[in-house]
Amino acid sequence: MKRMLYYMERDFRRWLRGRVNVLSTLILPAAWLIFVGLALPIRFTDNYLDFIAPGILVLTMLGASLQGGSLLMFDKVLGYLQKFLALPAPRESILFGKILFITLRGLIQATVILAIAILLGANFLNPALIASIYAVLFIFGILLSSVMATIALKVEDHDSYAAINAMVSMPLFFTSSALMPYDQMPGWLAAIARLNPVSYAIDAIRDLQAGVFPATTLLGLLIGAALVLLVSVMVFRRATV
Amino acid sequence: MDTAFTYLKIGSGRSSSLATIETSGLTKRFESLVAVDHLDLAIDREIFGLLGPNGSGKTTTVKMLTTLLIPTEGDATICGYSVTKDPLAVREQISYVPQDMAVDPKLTGRENVIFFAKVYGVPRPREVADEALAMLDLAPRADDLVRTYSGGMRRRLELAQALVHDPAVLFLDEPTIGLDVAGRRRIWEHIIALKDRGMTVFVTTHYMDEADHACDRIGIIDHGRVVATDSPAALKASVCRDIVSIRADGPLPGGLPEGVAFLGRTDGEFRFEADRGDEMGPVLSRAFARAGLAVRAVSVRQPTLDDVFLALVGESDDTEAFDDRRFRRMLRRR
Ligand SMILES: Nc1ncnc2c1ncn2[C@@H]1O[C@H](COP(=O)(O)OP(=O)(O)O)[C@@H](O)[C@H]1O
Ligand SMILES: [Mg+2]
Repeated sequence: MKRMLYYMERDFRRWLRGRVNVLSTLILPAAWLIFVGLALPIRFTDNYLDFIAPGILVLTMLGASLQGGSLLMFDKVLGYLQKFLALPAPRESILFGKILFITLRGLIQATVILAIAILLGANFLNPALIASIYAVLFIFGILLSSVMATIALKVEDHDSYAAINAMVSMPLFFTSSALMPYDQMPGWLAAIARLNPVSYAIDAIRDLQAGVFPATTLLGLLIGAALVLLVSVMVFRRATV
Repeated sequence: MDTAFTYLKIGSGRSSSLATIETSGLTKRFESLVAVDHLDLAIDREIFGLLGPNGSGKTTTVKMLTTLLIPTEGDATICGYSVTKDPLAVREQISYVPQDMAVDPKLTGRENVIFFAKVYGVPRPREVADEALAMLDLAPRADDLVRTYSGGMRRRLELAQALVHDPAVLFLDEPTIGLDVAGRRRIWEHIIALKDRGMTVFVTTHYMDEADHACDRIGIIDHGRVVATDSPAALKASVCRDIVSIRADGPLPGGLPEGVAFLGRTDGEFRFEADRGDEMGPVLSRAFARAGLAVRAVSVRQPTLDDVFLALVGESDDTEAFDDRRFRRMLRRR
């Protein structure tokens, strides 16, 4: 367990040294929040900011997780992984440390977005609400970063990873419930959106906003995260013998 | 009975009956390619150099010994622990510095070492890191980002990382590759100092001169097979005497002087071995002249590991070309 934290600490130190990275990952979600949340003329709700903020929070986690997988790919390609695997620490702690780092980094970025949303007038100022939003984002982050870590183990270079990343990220976001409610979508889109894990996270946060406890969505997310993590560990073990 | 047996294993197993590194029939196949072919080695408190050209199976051997690759066949023990049955115990005993340099350029030297000390779980990571950095002469630059380090410093930093848990065995895969002359010499000085402290060092290289100078024993590997294992001096003595090289075009003349043996030919250079190279040089040169060949240069030197290597492994392409020509000459005579 402790070993996992040391691996995570290494990634945090490296991340904080690259200031440009820290900033650049925040620009896109902030832009969404300001330009889409405030400027778009939308008729189905009078507070589109409140509606879209959960989507942007989840988008932030999505971006962080998708980008995070490349860290494991680089560790593999640049030879760090070889060195770590020859250490007596349990090998899985490398994987868990990475997933935890990616998720926590996403939460830090989400915090900044949350703060901007509140400044812009979104109704999030409720400690219990904020805490439960973090819980949802955390589970979602574990789910996606496990997926991306698994992909990273199978990919041999940065270009392929970036290609997969681009192939996954935009469709996941646009086929989710981030931008409009299900009843505003064309039927085919709604059908896809209801299966999309990104919608699960967004819907859970919207339910929380509305004061409803999203038991089934949350359970779905949890089961998904557990399954993907399991697969990730299995792939990791197979890739490292 | 069980405890008595365990005691015996620790008491004798670590010192005499089992060497620090022992391999028996260690083999790795990648589909049809045999990368490492039935390796049998015993290595104990010395610098052992695995010497061979690129692609001969050095890295594959090291990866099996460091539990990063599972052998297809055979086994190896490190400090009495099997790499296949007890890989975790093996990893407790060893450190591994891979071929490609992998230190975090965005972290300082000290951060790089402390990180390893923590993951190894050593009791006082900061102090231990300080000691390791000082031992490798990195203390003055310890708080600079590794990005600013030279190649030699990065290698030394990797050694510092490898030393934090005081391993019994150190595996170094091509530790001097890509370094300048001063950097190389320095790395070898440190490796020798570690051996003097009682560490067993397993090092791979394709630089013959370095292996000759620093290793206690050398294994020569080619196409996955270890063809000879001995001290550099014994290897050189067993394989050849003085070497006489003659540059000339054309086929090898017949009627060589007595006591001279033909070793081989590369790029128009014939190599012979003889007891007194200085006297045999002119004699051979005259023999070439008599055969009508223009001798362009004659040189005499003591054998090096290169010659050992050529004698044991040969340069298959060149000898084939030579045989080919002789074959055609035979046909013409008919
Ligand atoms: N993972 C692998 N899959 C297939 N072939 C491999 C693999 N790793 C190494 N080889 C092959 O095994 C042989 C030995 O490689 P290696 O041990 O890296 O040589 P060296 O370190 O001496 O240069 C080479 O022919 C190489 O191409
Ligand atoms: Mg190699």
